Amino acid sequence: MDVVAAFEEGLGNAASHFQAAFEAAHDEPALRAANARYVGPQGVVTKVMKLMPELPKEQRRGLGQRVNQLKEQIEAAFAARLDSLLHALRNAELSGHSLDVSLPGYGAWLGYAHPLTRVKHELLDLFTSLGFDIAEGPEVDLHENNFDRLGFPPDHPATDMQDTFFMQQPVGVNPRATLLRTHTSTVQIREMLKRKPPLAVVSAGAVFRRDDDVTHSPMFMQLEGFMVDEGVSFAQLKGVLTHFLWKLFGKGIPVRFRPSYFPFVEPGGEVDVGCTICRSWERGPRECRVCKNTGFMEILGCGMIHPVVFEHVGYDPERFTGFAFGMGLDRVAMLRYGISEVGLLYGNDPRFLTQL
Amino acid sequence: MLASHKWLMEWSGLSLAPSEVAKRLTSAGLEVESMRACGENLQGVVIAEVRAMRAHPSRDKLRLVTLFDGEREQEVVCGAPNVPEPKGLVAFARLGATLPNSMRIEERKLGGVVSCGMICSEKELDLGADEDGILLIEVGAGRVPGAALADALGLRDTIYEIGLTPNRPDCLGHLGIARELCALLDKPFAWPSPSLPQRWLSAATTAPTDPAQAFSLATELGAKPAQTVSAEPPVNNVRVQIEGADRCPRYAAAVVAGLRVGPSPFALRYRLHTLGLRAISNVVDATNLVLLGFGHPIHAFDLQKVRGSRIVVRRAQNGEAIQTLDGQSHKLSDDDLLICDGEGPVALAGVMGGASSEISASTTQVLIECAYFDARSVRRTSKRTGLHTDSSHRFERGVDPRGVRGVLAYAAALIAELSGGAVAADALDVYPTPIAPKQVRFRSAKASALLGASIDVKTAAGIFERLGCTVRALGSELDVELPTFRPDLSREIDLIEEYARVQGYDSIPTATPSLRPSVEGNAPEIGFVRRLREVGAASGLWEAVNFAFVAPADLEKSRVSTEAPRVANPMTEERSVLRTALLPGLLQNLRNAQRHAQHRFSGFEVARVFAPSMEAVLPAERYELGVLLWGLRQSWYDEREVLDFYDAKGVLETITHALTGSICQTLLDESLDASAPFLHPKRRAAVLVQGQRVGCLGELHPDVRDAFELEGRPVYAVLDVPALLAVAQACAGKPIEALPRFPASTRDLAVVVSEELPVGEVATVLHSVAGELAESVRLFDIYRGAPVPAGHKSLAFHVVYRDPKATLTDKLVDEAHARVTQAAEQRFAGAVRK
Ligand SMILES: [Zn+2]
Repeated sequence: MDVVAAFEEGLGNAASHFQAAFEAAHDEPALRAANARYVGPQGVVTKVMKLMPELPKEQRRGLGQRVNQLKEQIEAAFAARLDSLLHALRNAELSGHSLDVSLPGYGAWLGYAHPLTRVKHELLDLFTSLGFDIAEGPEVDLHENNFDRLGFPPDHPATDMQDTFFMQQPVGVNPRATLLRTHTSTVQIREMLKRKPPLAVVSAGAVFRRDDDVTHSPMFMQLEGFMVDEGVSFAQLKGVLTHFLWKLFGKGIPVRFRPSYFPFVEPGGEVDVGCTICRSWERGPRECRVCKNTGFMEILGCGMIHPVVFEHVGYDPERFTGFAFGMGLDRVAMLRYGISEVGLLYGNDPRFLTQL
Repeated sequence: MLASHKWLMEWSGLSLAPSEVAKRLTSAGLEVESMRACGENLQGVVIAEVRAMRAHPSRDKLRLVTLFDGEREQEVVCGAPNVPEPKGLVAFARLGATLPNSMRIEERKLGGVVSCGMICSEKELDLGADEDGILLIEVGAGRVPGAALADALGLRDTIYEIGLTPNRPDCLGHLGIARELCALLDKPFAWPSPSLPQRWLSAATTAPTDPAQAFSLATELGAKPAQTVSAEPPVNNVRVQIEGADRCPRYAAAVVAGLRVGPSPFALRYRLHTLGLRAISNVVDATNLVLLGFGHPIHAFDLQKVRGSRIVVRRAQNGEAIQTLDGQSHKLSDDDLLICDGEGPVALAGVMGGASSEISASTTQVLIECAYFDARSVRRTSKRTGLHTDSSHRFERGVDPRGVRGVLAYAAALIAELSGGAVAADALDVYPTPIAPKQVRFRSAKASALLGASIDVKTAAGIFERLGCTVRALGSELDVELPTFRPDLSREIDLIEEYARVQGYDSIPTATPSLRPSVEGNAPEIGFVRRLREVGAASGLWEAVNFAFVAPADLEKSRVSTEAPRVANPMTEERSVLRTALLPGLLQNLRNAQRHAQHRFSGFEVARVFAPSMEAVLPAERYELGVLLWGLRQSWYDEREVLDFYDAKGVLETITHALTGSICQTLLDESLDASAPFLHPKRRAAVLVQGQRVGCLGELHPDVRDAFELEGRPVYAVLDVPALLAVAQACAGKPIEALPRFPASTRDLAVVVSEELPVGEVATVLHSVAGELAESVRLFDIYRGAPVPAGHKSLAFHVVYRDPKATLTDKLVDEAHARVTQAAEQRFAGAVRK
């Protein structure tokens, strides 16, 4: 067979079959394989084209044009078939049964830090940003650290303010020697015994009092802070606490300092903030169960560290002054999350803890 | 402390609205916690005059009383035995009135007779406790038929509830609060004169004894150093002897004779009632009124029952007994102080009187005691005997030693007046060592620096004087003599507080401190524990906070250490020891969750656990992390799976990786039988990080599960926080690895091995034979069932090959993987599937 006949035959074969071959391919690899049979390195059209140099000169041009036309047809057919195959695939993916979207979600596999932990971290961060260090102390502590060194007089009713759990002692040891701390002020003593001024420390943790009702839990969380240096004043105490309370409850909330008594501070005070439930400072006076219509909620105890405390830890009260403050984290958490019973905070009911 | 607005105004001479009083007191540290209006709930209750009375037609116990209520006459039915004769005045509730006990007055038929209104008793009107008969009203100004009862009897008052701090015993009486108010408002204050009690009597019945005269004859004894002091001459032949003046520095007594015990006038009874005390008799009511008025407890003995005409103040003998007024018998120790007569105890000093010399209806002479007892001594006795009384409450906080005579004079005059008696001319005052007022120097410079406010020394002096101090000015400093009624004042700082308190904390400016932060930083554990809590929550767990105290039985049931520090005075046995592990608390939480039909529990807790210490006084405390998982994972389309060992292991892997940079390993360890008996012996492991043991993990032992009545197979993991912290600190600063620059090539391999063979062992062997090119050997599937023979499992691994320095060729990977395949066949005698 001469070259021209072979060329013609190859060309004709390819032209009459490629369409069917592409139609027969039902996925992309099959289509690509079919395509390769025509235009691949070993493909029919490729082989035909290799005959080109042997063609007579006068026919070369016409035949060349036909090959190129065929190639274009094949390419177009391939592209069209590929397109339709991909389309069908996507259609298949998009058809079928719909999900029952009414089924409940599985629930994010996300955890929950305890509300007390969250409040504690938030408050510690606030004081850290003011330059305070964080310290901790043991939950079981010495009577000295919890009472005596803080200036509680022996046999004084001031100790009744904090009904105490004492730890059992062996026979012959003072039965009141150790106790579950009734406040985090023990950390004040421990840190002052350990370090020298200037110091600004904040501490949070569990404290214990023999009390158990709707508003009192025998264990609860307290946060305590103090600062000692030369020239620390009551005015500064007011400044730090006002700043702190504004950050906690919002700028502009009324803050009221009024005298009160704690043996380890003098002048001592309590701090009230505007009731966040009735917000009477904005909306005018109204009936409110939470603040009993006073418009204020008690939030902090504070004062200037009593000179007797400095004497007990070996600081010179003529040289150094300091302030201290303490607050219940339970109360902040209850306000923050609208919790009405303190028992919920320690009940560890997943239904409660996974709400917040 | 309850305080009457009217009484405060009477004694202070001020005229203020109750809201103003409350504001002033609160801002001075006497927090008014609540206010109660009295006499405001008696609308429709008026004075009525009895006009006639007749028997009820059908009922013996009832009578028909004709009343005039200022508007008209009407007949009402009354069951009281004490309806007065015509012209007598009674309290009448008209139709439509609502009584304080919420009873609404409507037409009622009693034994067939319609009654249009009701004659009321004290109790029904909440004016007192008497409910035996109707309230009889004595004639007086404004008490005419039709007059509103509240106005006619002067019932309107406001009662403050003041939350007094224990440093202010001076305000445990109206006198102190009145003085405080005057000081706050810069008004003069004077003691109430003893002649005031006349106002209590609605009609003068006796010529009042002049108390000043009575007291002017009192025998005053000078200071004697001796511990035993006798008073001579005696009051009506009574002698007072103090043994041990340290416990009783001062004892004064007066006698009122020729008295008649009976009910007090209504106004006095009403005042006691509004202040929470029950009226008993004129003599007892008078002592209570003096207590509420001056804050100084006094006691009245029936003088005829004081044997041997002697009062001896002495300590009890060990084992000595006294029966107190409440009928209880107390066994005493030699730390208790007694008031005795010639034969034995008649009162527990400062706490409660004895039954033997109690005032009775037949009493005609009383000995009034007004003393100053040592505060600590009274407190110890009160604590030991469990008798917390109005008297002990005040003595243990400290009464005014210098106020004794004034209080006694007032009390004697009041009792005489109320009971028709006469105050004996002689009174006694045994005061061997007078208590001198303290002196303090006030430096306005120091005060200014401490408060951060500039202080005017003259203003300060004025404040101190108003508070009862004697002040001498020395330039910018003051010499201040402190009043004995303020035991809370003893040093300069106390005066600085008084200044700030009276000026108001609002008057002090607000400043920002220049903080000098330390460079020491926080203990590493603080941040570490915080991160642990955050990562715990981020791992899909919720955080529990359990009480530090638990039931000893729960420690036993959960098979953790029962060597627990014990609370000496627990509230309940359930919370009587400190936890030695977090497990019991979490198990209780799980049990509650199961009872509430929860289907899943995934909780953790980070808290301190306790162990008794051999060497130290305080128990050892360390942080522990506990993780408890139980229940089902949710899935709608696939089968629901139970949370198991590997869920907990996964949590630990996350946590250890986040906190130390290394993922934990688990290890079979027989020693866990002894150290973690709460875990299932076949389903538990030790947990290690970087080769260091930090905790353990496993299914709960079935015995523990059953002891807590739990369902299913809970998984528990516990990490020792200090151990974990030590690993974290050792690993700290490890540089991160650079990302690989050349691609990896992954080949898969499946090997069938005996069920007994741990996967970890297979993976280790495969990794070692694969050589350096193998980056990781990771299990991705376990298959059991045909064609894998029974007792076997097919393990499928990804083996990842990578050359850190070049792109791998297929040839190199093929060679390495062939070694792995071959080794798997030889070492595990298992069919290798491709
Ligand atoms: Zn409110």
